Amino acid sequence: MSGNINFILNKELISADLNPATVLLDFIRNKKLTGTKEGCKEGDCGACTVLTGEINSDRDEVIYSAVNSCLIPVQNVNGKHVVTIEGLNLPGKELNPIQQEFVNEGASQCGFCTPGFIVSLTGYFLNKGILNSGNVIDSLDGNICRCTGHNSIIRAAKKISDKFDFAVHSNGTRYKFLSENKIIPEYFLNIKDRLSKLNTFDIKVSSDSGKKSFVSGGTDLFVQRPDEMLNSEIIFLCNDSTLKGIFLNKDVCTIGSLSTVTEILESGIMNDLYPGIINFAGLFGSTPIRNSATLGGNINNASPIGDMTALFLALDSNVILSDSENKRTIPLKNYYRSYKTTERKPDEYMECLNIKLPEGNYYINFEKVSKRTYLDIASVNTAILIFMEKDVIKEIHLSAGGVAPVPLYLAETCEFLKDKKISRENINKALEITQSEISPISDARGSSDYKRMLLNGLIKTHFIKLFPEYFSEGVEL
Amino acid sequence: MKNYDIINHVRGESLFIDDINIPDGTLYATVFYSPLAHGKILNLNLNEALSLPGVKEIITYKDIPGENQIGGIIFDEPLLAEEHVHFIGMPVALVIADNELTARNAAKKIKIEIEPYPVITDPREAFKKGDLIVPPETFSCGNTENAWDECDIIIEGECDSGGQEHLYLETQGAIAFPSEGGGLKIISSTQGPTTVQRVAAKVLAMPMNKIEVEVLRLGGGFGGKEDQATPWAVLTALAAMKLNSPVKLILPRHDDMVMTGKRNPYSSDFKIGLKKDGKIIAYEASFYQNAGASADLSTAILDRTLFHCTNSYFIPNVKATGYCCKTNLAPNTAFRGFGGPQGKFVIECAIHKAAECMGLLPSGIQKMNLLKEGDKFPYGQKALHAQAINSWKAAEESFKPDEIRDRINKFNSENKYFKKGFAFMPICFGIAFTNTKMNQANALINIYSDGSVSFSTAAVEMGQGVNAKIREVVSRVFSVSQEKIKNESTNTTRSANTSPTAASSGADLNCNAAYKACKIILDRIKHSALEELNKSDIDKIEIRDETVYYNDIRTNLEWCVLIERTFHKRISLSAHAHYSTPEIFFDKSINKGTPFRYHVYGTSVIEVTVDCLRGIYKIDSVRAVHDFGESLNPVIDLGQAEGAIIQGLGWMTIEEVVHNKDGKLLSDLLSTYKVPDIHFSPEEMEIKFLGIPNPAGIFNSKAIGEPPLMYGIGAYFAIRNALMEFTGSNDFPYSAPITPEKVFLYLNSKKAVFLSDE
Repeated sequence: MSGNINFILNKELISADLNPATVLLDFIRNKKLTGTKEGCKEGDCGACTVLTGEINSDRDEVIYSAVNSCLIPVQNVNGKHVVTIEGLNLPGKELNPIQQEFVNEGASQCGFCTPGFIVSLTGYFLNKGILNSGNVIDSLDGNICRCTGHNSIIRAAKKISDKFDFAVHSNGTRYKFLSENKIIPEYFLNIKDRLSKLNTFDIKVSSDSGKKSFVSGGTDLFVQRPDEMLNSEIIFLCNDSTLKGIFLNKDVCTIGSLSTVTEILESGIMNDLYPGIINFAGLFGSTPIRNSATLGGNINNASPIGDMTALFLALDSNVILSDSENKRTIPLKNYYRSYKTTERKPDEYMECLNIKLPEGNYYINFEKVSKRTYLDIASVNTAILIFMEKDVIKEIHLSAGGVAPVPLYLAETCEFLKDKKISRENINKALEITQSEISPISDARGSSDYKRMLLNGLIKTHFIKLFPEYFSEGVEL
Repeated sequence: MKNYDIINHVRGESLFIDDINIPDGTLYATVFYSPLAHGKILNLNLNEALSLPGVKEIITYKDIPGENQIGGIIFDEPLLAEEHVHFIGMPVALVIADNELTARNAAKKIKIEIEPYPVITDPREAFKKGDLIVPPETFSCGNTENAWDECDIIIEGECDSGGQEHLYLETQGAIAFPSEGGGLKIISSTQGPTTVQRVAAKVLAMPMNKIEVEVLRLGGGFGGKEDQATPWAVLTALAAMKLNSPVKLILPRHDDMVMTGKRNPYSSDFKIGLKKDGKIIAYEASFYQNAGASADLSTAILDRTLFHCTNSYFIPNVKATGYCCKTNLAPNTAFRGFGGPQGKFVIECAIHKAAECMGLLPSGIQKMNLLKEGDKFPYGQKALHAQAINSWKAAEESFKPDEIRDRINKFNSENKYFKKGFAFMPICFGIAFTNTKMNQANALINIYSDGSVSFSTAAVEMGQGVNAKIREVVSRVFSVSQEKIKNESTNTTRSANTSPTAASSGADLNCNAAYKACKIILDRIKHSALEELNKSDIDKIEIRDETVYYNDIRTNLEWCVLIERTFHKRISLSAHAHYSTPEIFFDKSINKGTPFRYHVYGTSVIEVTVDCLRGIYKIDSVRAVHDFGESLNPVIDLGQAEGAIIQGLGWMTIEEVVHNKDGKLLSDLLSTYKVPDIHFSPEEMEIKFLGIPNPAGIFNSKAIGEPPLMYGIGAYFAIRNALMEFTGSNDFPYSAPITPEKVFLYLNSKKAVFLSDE
């Protein structure tokens, strides 16, 4: 193989010398595969959705995820199968069952967003029955249609979902079943073999990194400065398998920095430790973003409104940094210095996050309000981890996003609440302290007054939701 | 009734501008725009940008051979800024390079020095300073001055409605190719091919016949590509002319959002007088329209606000005045509804406020004042075949508002932090361009010698299914299968002097033109059939399912054979026909006439739930009885209704166009401007077809594009009603969109919402 980048694009083997920071969408469209559209180039519309598949060694199968091709550098699909709408079309003019149902329901008007919806739905059906895939409508949370209002799309998606019993084909027979029912073309059956023969390298990040920049998922970097990335010296972390995975080790849970949001929130380990954590998933980005965005990226991007950051701040976690030789540990709550600046030195990268395993009587919650409930960036977000001993707060960790230049750990608020009872009075006093800890600004996501009051409201909501018995209001949330 | 376009859409095979295979050597353009909202250009330095390798040319107003003028109604808008800039995003120069990245990088190297002038973003401020684009316009009937004495109660108030970004998924773009003989071919993503042609001719100082404009389809338009596709098409034409090379320009999303106008925001005053029982006697309104920096279509939009200021109600005494206010924002423009929604929002605010003050149900006042057959609109037209009352009654029967009210009351009494609300929203919308001369279209039908058929019309396909409807008409007239029929692109050489596809009238106008053209050919082939069958009575010839019948008896003469023989007889199988909407007129000097061919009516009921802890809400259901006439294609019409409703809901709720005081757009990306996503869609959406034929429509159908958007207005009042349930007060401002921020701040201003010391 000749190129630095090797992958399979639909049926075709791509082996080429490419600038690794080339955005996958541009590459695809330059190949005249114009079914994949550019709608926003920031992962907010889904018109560019493609599937990427890679061999999952545990399952000994190719597992596909829907991703935004506008945010993925081609380096990140090295060794993978990339599927565009053209790669889902059956030979001739025959429509597959998903496409046919879209036609029947009039689930396409101008047609610009349509391929993205078909690809996302296919991604869902490829995983249905094997992964924790939620419902079919959730799989379309990263696709925007401005014409239909989505109702006809919902009807079409539900009809297809009801038509096939995907769940019973959970092992080796699944792709055969999908192919026989024409959800995918037949060539998918050989992809596993073809991928296993692809020559890709597992590259451990080396110490000659110098002042180069690190890229993991790229879902924010390629929104902010795609042109600049083309001329940057980049180290792509995606090739280093040591940065992947979620493990338990004695009293610590280790989450590799390359773990995607999807992997973390769907992880059995995480859901055993923090029951219900998967329910927060819907509020984090969209399905394709969650499939690409990594923990390391979210933490180190240092956005004051990062959702993962807010969650892990409350989980009292530690960042493990490495410069390939030496490692050091920094508590996440001390990690942020100023706007978009962390304690990380230029030649360091985040290896993983360690969380001390929680014990006793503890609860977590995550709250986020944004203009649009889903696929939006928070006006304010906050997470809580609270340990109770009878009616006394033994330990509490509260985070807040969107209210300061950095993702905030509400240290003083937590300090005040420690060893207090849950009561209206104590919470209201604590919130006065919270107000002194924050400094929101007015922007497109809300006025500073709004963000101040909203954080108070959301912290109260934590308590009402977790401890309804303490409040006469007792409501279902 | 298939929509053939969709078959290509779902396979990703439909071509949009950016998908068209272009010749090697095509150049790419990027627009350099003003970074300031108002000021005088002191210096423009292109040197550094021009020195980048790959940069071919940078064009400014000085390179324009004809007029630097793109205004459609009023000539007040330069294509490229000359001495002054009037909004952030105003095009100043066009950078042309051999690839997109180079063009973008070069644009960043352009240096501009501007002396800042004061910036106005608020229409009332512009009004106070006398910055009006045209003199105020007033529509009136009866005499409001005298009528106030008859009223038992008079309510006054103020309300605001926000802008709305079109967010067509395909951004603006065009490709221009020099053609032989010094002409140009422009492929544009425009709703108005003739507009592009006319303006390009003016700017390039060329006759219109040297400019061919072609449109395949649009990835959404919604009014945003009616007038505002023009600058990009004309700029590429200018560059292609100058460099004698194909030039392509596709706006990146951010540039598109910054440079193009949106739905006009309005700030309005209202005064309404009623009898004790809720009968409306008089209504006055003043509309302060935020037009942006130039007229664009704002004056026509303001007219439609005045036309629809009384929505579906009969009010005997009305006086409505519109002020077209000039501000330093991108020129605002057509957006589905075209000023109608803004007008309707105000009368609904007036009715709800009156109901609250009088202790009546808003729906009681709404219902009591609905238009009856023969009632006159303030502009003098009579409501004929009025369906306001029919649709209201059908909605009551189907959706049982009393049951909804009981259910909501029960829920609200059982839930402290979650409150439900609902509202009725009736609509009435006039169909025709209010500028009478625009109500014309033409169509070319060709039958080929093998019996296959093609049609070309003035209609631009942008997802609304107009081509499927024309195909349906052609198929019905000839009685041939739809598979035999193909739609051609929209092209100014086949359809000249066209009106933009807008005003919900694309299907009406172009189906009628196609119908006429088909009838011309049908007459010829019937005569030909008569000859083939050696018969004499032309009235007894009929074609059914591609077979000729004589006197109701099937003959052996099949469509394809008949066509081939007709061709051999040297009879024309092509026809071009023109259609102009009959019976409409309007006297601008008195603002009276019959401007509309007919009206579209309907009634919706919208339910919502507000989460008063977090200040967020969910639209639970939208139910409507809509006046579709006899639908030409129920799947398409239902899709249009649903899509329009969701856009209307978005406009009223989460879609917020935010500018700062300097006139900078803050909601300038999809990450900061939020349109409805799949989870936003109401769990229940039930659209019933009223099913009453429309004698004024082709095959008794009705226009569909815009009217259902206005059902969305009900969401504002439903949310407001839920807030009243929680707070017990009714002073939430009449200000849309009703964003989560406004909801939360209001709830928190009322009382310490929760965990308070009660």
